Amino acid sequence: MNQARVGLLVAAALVAVPLTASAQPNEQPKEINLDEPETPAEGTEPAEGPAVPAEGDEEAGLGDICKIDPTACPTIDLDKEAAKELRPETYAVQQIYALRYHRFEVNPYFGLTMNDQFVGHNGPGLAVNWYLTNVLAIGVNGNWYAGLNTPSDFNFQTSRAARIGEPITEYQWNANANFTYVPAYGKFAGFSDFIFHYDFFVLGGVGAISTRPMAVVDPDNRTFDWKPKLAFHVGGGIRIFFNRWFAAMAEVSDYIFFDELENPSVDKDRLQDKSTWLADEKSFTNNVQAQVGFSVFLPFSWEYRLPK
Amino acid sequence: MTAAPAEAQEIQLTGPLAGAPAVRKLRLHREGRFEVAPGASFTLLDEYRRTIMPGLRLTYHLTDWIGIGAWGGYGFQYNAGLTDELQRVAIDSRNCADRPFTKACQLTRVNLTRGQLTEDQLAQIQWVAAPQVTVVPFRGKLALFAELFVDTDVNFFAGVAAIGVKERKQCTTDCVNTFGLESRMAFAPTFGLGLNFYPSDFIGFGAEWRALPFEWNTSGFDNHGAGTDEAFPDNKVDDKDREFHFTSMVTVSLSVQFPTAIKTTE
Repeated sequence: MNQARVGLLVAAALVAVPLTASAQPNEQPKEINLDEPETPAEGTEPAEGPAVPAEGDEEAGLGDICKIDPTACPTIDLDKEAAKELRPETYAVQQIYALRYHRFEVNPYFGLTMNDQFVGHNGPGLAVNWYLTNVLAIGVNGNWYAGLNTPSDFNFQTSRAARIGEPITEYQWNANANFTYVPAYGKFAGFSDFIFHYDFFVLGGVGAISTRPMAVVDPDNRTFDWKPKLAFHVGGGIRIFFNRWFAAMAEVSDYIFFDELENPSVDKDRLQDKSTWLADEKSFTNNVQAQVGFSVFLPFSWEYRLPK
Repeated sequence: MTAAPAEAQEIQLTGPLAGAPAVRKLRLHREGRFEVAPGASFTLLDEYRRTIMPGLRLTYHLTDWIGIGAWGGYGFQYNAGLTDELQRVAIDSRNCADRPFTKACQLTRVNLTRGQLTEDQLAQIQWVAAPQVTVVPFRGKLALFAELFVDTDVNFFAGVAAIGVKERKQCTTDCVNTFGLESRMAFAPTFGLGLNFYPSDFIGFGAEWRALPFEWNTSGFDNHGAGTDEAFPDNKVDDKDREFHFTSMVTVSLSVQFPTAIKTTE
């Protein structure tokens, strides 16, 4: 958009101030001083089009444009235009700085476990969204946990001190299809000097998460396979825009699912029987994670439908 | 459409906005005003005991971007899921009061009460008082549903907190029979940030995140004191069993500014 703005300024400058004419090759550029009297160059005739206004005419500038490029000569009747009824409607936010409408958002991030004291499920993730409107998007996101699950010191110390084996699980991956809604946006002046824009978003979706118990009760006999489970996703966060296509983001997301835990009791007659390894009841689990990353909006630029 | 020579850059430098402030008619919600903000804090990532802390923040804003004040609150606790599970599995089911000879009871007799965990050994934050400095670097506005518009700001704060903590009684001998809580005062740095909204000239609301990093023994266990790096139990419950916790909380508050009349910039 900066390019567009600069382009407009340059265009305005070119229209208003035809200082040099590139159509005059190999000659010293001829300066046109609109304040000087009109003295047509020898051997040249006025171009076709509206007559050149007389000296001192208020529309002298327009006349000069007509002289240089008749096709660009304004044909509006200023008196008629001035008599038109104005529609002085203004908007609280004239133009949204970072328009999301019909743009892709590519959002890599890193997730940090917020509510599992026993095992950390930190890992990278990626979200891709397509904005159907300026405030509503559809998209997908995914998290990768395999190899990054880390049982905590707290887990070890609690088990040692209280002589209990807390069932724990590790995660492999998670994927969701989401709706994202942007209910609020605004801007801040930083140190009363510079301005940046931000928005808040909420999202919800459905997907799957692959998990398996980590054998704690009978690790000598039990090994578990990865198994995907239905998962639901709710979350919300903030984006801070550095320019019209790049933003830092922070989000809190809750991945909700029913997890399978290790059976805390051991059937000594059927130690190798897999059907005895899992607890009867499934555990309602909230995997809450803080996600920090950045968003890139594509395409990088756009044209506003209405002028500022 | 003037005839004067001009370039794009010149327009930026000499245009009507040249030299203008980033914001005109800025409402000064803070400058020269006294802020009273009652609120409630909720601790995060608790292991055993969660705290809800009604409190009050008082701030005098020397300018619109810096203020001095204090925050404090008194805490009420409730159990995290792990506490209820420990009570059920490790205490009530084992019934060590009647079966002290079992292996599990013998191995946990220093670490686990035979009564109620919450009354005998789990630590809790009783109160916090923290003088602090508040800095407000970001001022702006927020559009909600493209219909409602409110002034907003982001503040950062830092200070020193005095924390009233209840922990398991310390013991160097006979810790098997030393259960119960005692109070102490801890000191910790406190810092965080908040997001504030001002729907009117003198009333606002906001949310803030606060950190209170300090060492305390949340479980009442004997986890440290012996062996390499004192990483093994020593059958004593003392300072060595305190662990560093990045204690944090979220506060929601309502704020009232005095005087109620607001000033604006040019």
